[in-house]
Amino acid sequence: MSKLQPVIFDIGWNACINCGACVAICPQEAGFISPFDTIAVDRPCDIACLLCENICPTGTISHRPVAEGDPPRPPERGSWLAPQHPNGTSEERMPPKH
Amino acid sequence: MKGKNCTWMNNYDCDILIVGSGPAGATLARYAAAAGLSVLLVDKRQELGAPIQCSGAVSRHALEEVGIPLDEEFILEAIYGFAIYDQSGSATRIDYRQLKGDEYGEGEGKKPLGYVVDRRRFDRYLMTLAERSGAETWLKTEGLGYRTLPDGRCEVSLRNFNRLLSVRCKVLVGADGLQSQVGKWAGLQTHIKITELAGCLQFIVDQVETDGLLEIITGHEWAPGGYAWVFPKGHGYAEIGLGVISTMTDHNAQWHLDKFIQQSFFKDRFRNCRILEIQGGGVPLAAPLRTQYADNLILVGDAARHVNPITGGGIHTALSGAKVAADFLVSHLAGGQQQDFSAAQLKGYQDAWLAAIGNKMWELYHQKTKVFHQEDIPTRDAYLYRTMSDYFDPNSPYKKV
Ligand SMILES: Cc1cc2nc3c(=O)[nH]c(=O)nc-3n(C[C@H](O)[C@H](O)[C@H](O)COP(=O)(O)OP(=O)(O)OC[C@H]3O[C@@H](n4cnc5c(N)ncnc54)[C@H](O)[C@@H]3O)c2cc1C
Ligand code: SF4
Ligand code: SF4
Repeated sequence: MSKLQPVIFDIGWNACINCGACVAICPQEAGFISPFDTIAVDRPCDIACLLCENICPTGTISHRPVAEGDPPRPPERGSWLAPQHPNGTSEERMPPKH
Repeated sequence: MKGKNCTWMNNYDCDILIVGSGPAGATLARYAAAAGLSVLLVDKRQELGAPIQCSGAVSRHALEEVGIPLDEEFILEAIYGFAIYDQSGSATRIDYRQLKGDEYGEGEGKKPLGYVVDRRRFDRYLMTLAERSGAETWLKTEGLGYRTLPDGRCEVSLRNFNRLLSVRCKVLVGADGLQSQVGKWAGLQTHIKITELAGCLQFIVDQVETDGLLEIITGHEWAPGGYAWVFPKGHGYAEIGLGVISTMTDHNAQWHLDKFIQQSFFKDRFRNCRILEIQGGGVPLAAPLRTQYADNLILVGDAARHVNPITGGGIHTALSGAKVAADFLVSHLAGGQQQDFSAAQLKGYQDAWLAAIGNKMWELYHQKTKVFHQEDIPTRDAYLYRTMSDYFDPNSPYKKV
């Protein structure tokens, strides 16, 4: 299998020590992370360099090629997120002081 | 959330917003707040320092240099020197209790060379110092992104207990550690080479004796591309750990650590060891970032890769780099007149940092690179052993890095 095919990762959480090494080595854009300080597992990675798997001290990351029916890539994060009201509408922002 | 002690609020304004309350962020916050700037320090964790991704060895000098009291709250054990081993177990011992016995030791009027600290307590302590100096601190608050504003400031989005908040500041500081996202927000080149990031695993153990020394074990056989270590951890405990470069081995750090414990020249010493905690992380044996600033933004600590490329130690460099950054920001923001927080202005921080610390780190990086350019394994092992022994020698020019 070509490494450049998009992949989805599976993390064996039982062996994961939340060390963050996979995130540290990952060349993805900002925000390709899971709530447990690991690389994201809920969306495909199109870079597929597999450095995260190689660095993992407990070897608990594995991958499979993206298949039909897998979740699509969500919109990019990291640049800007407007504060939202709980109902999801964008909040009116105060004009800057000065 | 209401009340003075829970002031997480939307549309908050401050001079400096610091993302990440590790040694770098909390120290910058303390100095900047003490000088009168309004400082907001946020961290996504619920307990700072946990889960631990650090062995906690730091020199006494590093703490004193940035005014951190030597408090029992975070100190696990005092350290008096080093022992550097080659692959077969011969050692260079650098014990300051013998080398400079009138100055260093346990007795009255004598002092330790350094300490092993508990990062959970240490990071909490540093945040408390920042708070007492006037910084506002919010836990469970994750930085998500930033954008510049037309008035020269910037706006940062944060998530706190599932709520999105917006904070405006003059300068955003990325102190978010090795997994740093803040630098990526600004499009800075933050990528670490796989040949320069060691995957590390460490066990806190019972039933392994130590003697006030940081023990460092070199050799491709035990830790390809990195080294192994045995540190005293207080309460009679020890820490056994190692880091490996994944391109130099087919196995992960865990496999190497098991092998080191079961097969190395220390196997008898480790025979009855009982694992009490398991920790790990990535240690960059890499150069500092070439660009550590952008419009309205600077990076400090691991986020700027202020890490000693020979030892992988980053607490001292995080602390001293944070002080350089705070001094720069305090003078840059002095009087409130200054409204230019562009990259061109903030470059002054990096220049000050290079002059104070950075140029020495680049020298160390070049030394380290020379070691790992040796293709022949025995030659490289000998070179690494010598470099490590020289580095920790009392006459080494690099004592302060
Ligand atoms: C296994 C291991 C052993 C080590 N041993 C030593 C040692 O013995 N001695 C030594 O000097 N150094 C050691 N180091 C290095 C040392 O741990 C680091 O250099 C040091 O912690 C860097 O401090 P920092 O403040 O830059 O970042 P960190 O201590 O990593 O702090 C970053 C903080 O930012 C927070 N954060 C991250 N992202 C966000 C976000 N988006 N929003 C809000 N908060 C965020 C994190 O929760 C964290 O609290 C070791 C490292 C490892 C991995
Ligand atoms: S394969 Fe590469 S880019 Fe994708 S998550 Fe792993 S380290 Fe990141
Ligand atoms: S590198 Fe491995 S152990 Fe560390 S956080 Fe990532 S998945 Fe978990």
